[in-house]
Amino acid sequence: MGIFDQDVSDQNSLCYPSLYKPGQQNLLFNKRQFFLCTLQGLGTSFLLFFIPYGAFSVMVKEEGSHFSDQQAFAVTIATSLVIVVSVQIGLDTHYWTVVNHVFIWGSLVAYFAILFAMQSDGIFGIFPRNFPFIGTARNCLSAASVWLVIVLTAVVCLVPGLAVSFLRAQLFPTLTDKVRCLQQSRKRRGPREQNLRRGRRTSSRRSAYAFSHQQGFGELITSGRNMRRMNTYLERNQ
Amino acid sequence: MVKEEQESANRPDNTAFTQQRLPAWQPILSAGIIIPGFVIIGLTFIGIGVALFVTSKSIQDMEIDYTGVETDSDCYKCTNTDEKNCVCRLDFNIPTLIEGPVFFYYGLSNYFQNYRRYGVSKDDTQLSGDLDNFKTPSDDCSPYETDDTFVLYQNLNGSNQEVPFDGKGIAWWTDYNVKYRNPDVTPLKDAFEGTVKPPFWSKPAYELDPTDPNNNGFINQDFLVWMRRAALPDFRKLYRRISQDDYARGLPAGNYTLQIGYNYPVMSFKGKKKVVFSNVSWMGGRNEFLGIAYLVIGSWCIVMSIVMLIVYAKFKFPEED
Repeated sequence: MGIFDQDVSDQNSLCYPSLYKPGQQNLLFNKRQFFLCTLQGLGTSFLLFFIPYGAFSVMVKEEGSHFSDQQAFAVTIATSLVIVVSVQIGLDTHYWTVVNHVFIWGSLVAYFAILFAMQSDGIFGIFPRNFPFIGTARNCLSAASVWLVIVLTAVVCLVPGLAVSFLRAQLFPTLTDKVRCLQQSRKRRGPREQNLRRGRRTSSRRSAYAFSHQQGFGELITSGRNMRRMNTYLERNQ
Repeated sequence: MVKEEQESANRPDNTAFTQQRLPAWQPILSAGIIIPGFVIIGLTFIGIGVALFVTSKSIQDMEIDYTGVETDSDCYKCTNTDEKNCVCRLDFNIPTLIEGPVFFYYGLSNYFQNYRRYGVSKDDTQLSGDLDNFKTPSDDCSPYETDDTFVLYQNLNGSNQEVPFDGKGIAWWTDYNVKYRNPDVTPLKDAFEGTVKPPFWSKPAYELDPTDPNNNGFINQDFLVWMRRAALPDFRKLYRRISQDDYARGLPAGNYTLQIGYNYPVMSFKGKKKVVFSNVSWMGGRNEFLGIAYLVIGSWCIVMSIVMLIVYAKFKFPEED
């Protein structure tokens, strides 16, 4: 899934080569970033346990049968976790192709499918000792109060991250953010104008410094080897 | 020329998939989406929080502790573990009508049903009726149970009228119908031949309810409610429902006497026992935590959206570089 993510389009990454500077300077993945990610993980785990804990201390289903039982507690925390992680990945993805959609929504669907399968009557009949959670998901996820707890936990875990990234983009925008905004406003202005410009641009040759710490194609172009090929083709077809 | 052919042989395919040109949705979380989003989430949460809090406040519940720690309580004589089948009576007063249907719970505190050794001390195959496991259960099996009994009387004009209890359907449907099954032997007593009753139980499993074969043995509703392990050390379990005959509308105000068959000692681990009368609503029983949490998070979202709006208005950078 990470392979398919694109923060700026390939044309814009050619126009603004200084976009590659953070990669070269190791700004996006170093010990400090790793430590911050670990801290976020610890905070999320803390919230994922203690919010349902607080809610479950006295919890009863609509029809009165008692509810604060260990298996329902476990299912609530597991469901909140899967939802928080999936939504966090979704918020970090900038370029949603079909593959991304399939994997993110597919994970959620697969989680619920496996949850209900593992707690179904059928599999309990075959292996009673290994699947003691039978019936828990059905009883637990049909109660409105459990879903309220799950939604609360998910929002508390996700919303601070969202606020921080928004504030950072407004107060300290990186070049990537600026280029993405530019891309979006150009798209909004209209595809027709872009096509005209593109038609004129392809006739000029530019060298592409994709990885600026490599040698590049300067030598190839100045030797004129590829230009010669184009001329022979034109001569043959005239 | 040879080099050209080699280059075109190694050239990657020019499809949308390999050249990363797949059609895609490229959302940008701009201010126009985030700030209204936060406001909507904040307002929704405040709304839900208010609803939860108001509903929770309207639920009536009443707790009566009957551990018998105080020497002037009738149940003090039952804390002596030598006394078997001790019965004690507690008088209490209900000030206002508790609207029905009223649920009657027994509660224990400082009792760790979530302790791992406790949790594995049962054999699921045996409990689902498998006859083979009756005589040879798994090694970890050593059952515990509480079996206090309760009868409630209302004091009307000097005489005691018993309040009818409804004990049907207090356990989860899946527990009653799927997870726990009695072995297919009638009478049930024969299936237990050659086994002994667990040490702390006052009655063997096949005598839990001799009057009703659908409530005897492993599918006894009280047994099933007890077997649902509680998550936390302070818990309540449903005992009976009060919703029949004269009490269909609830428990009217007045004096009541509770007669307790005190069988389970808890003083050894500093536990407490209590009974609770409560009614329920769409969100379950009384739970102020959820209401308050929703209100707090909702307000926080609104505050953050105001902060973000101020930041956006002041520090917005121009769209075109």
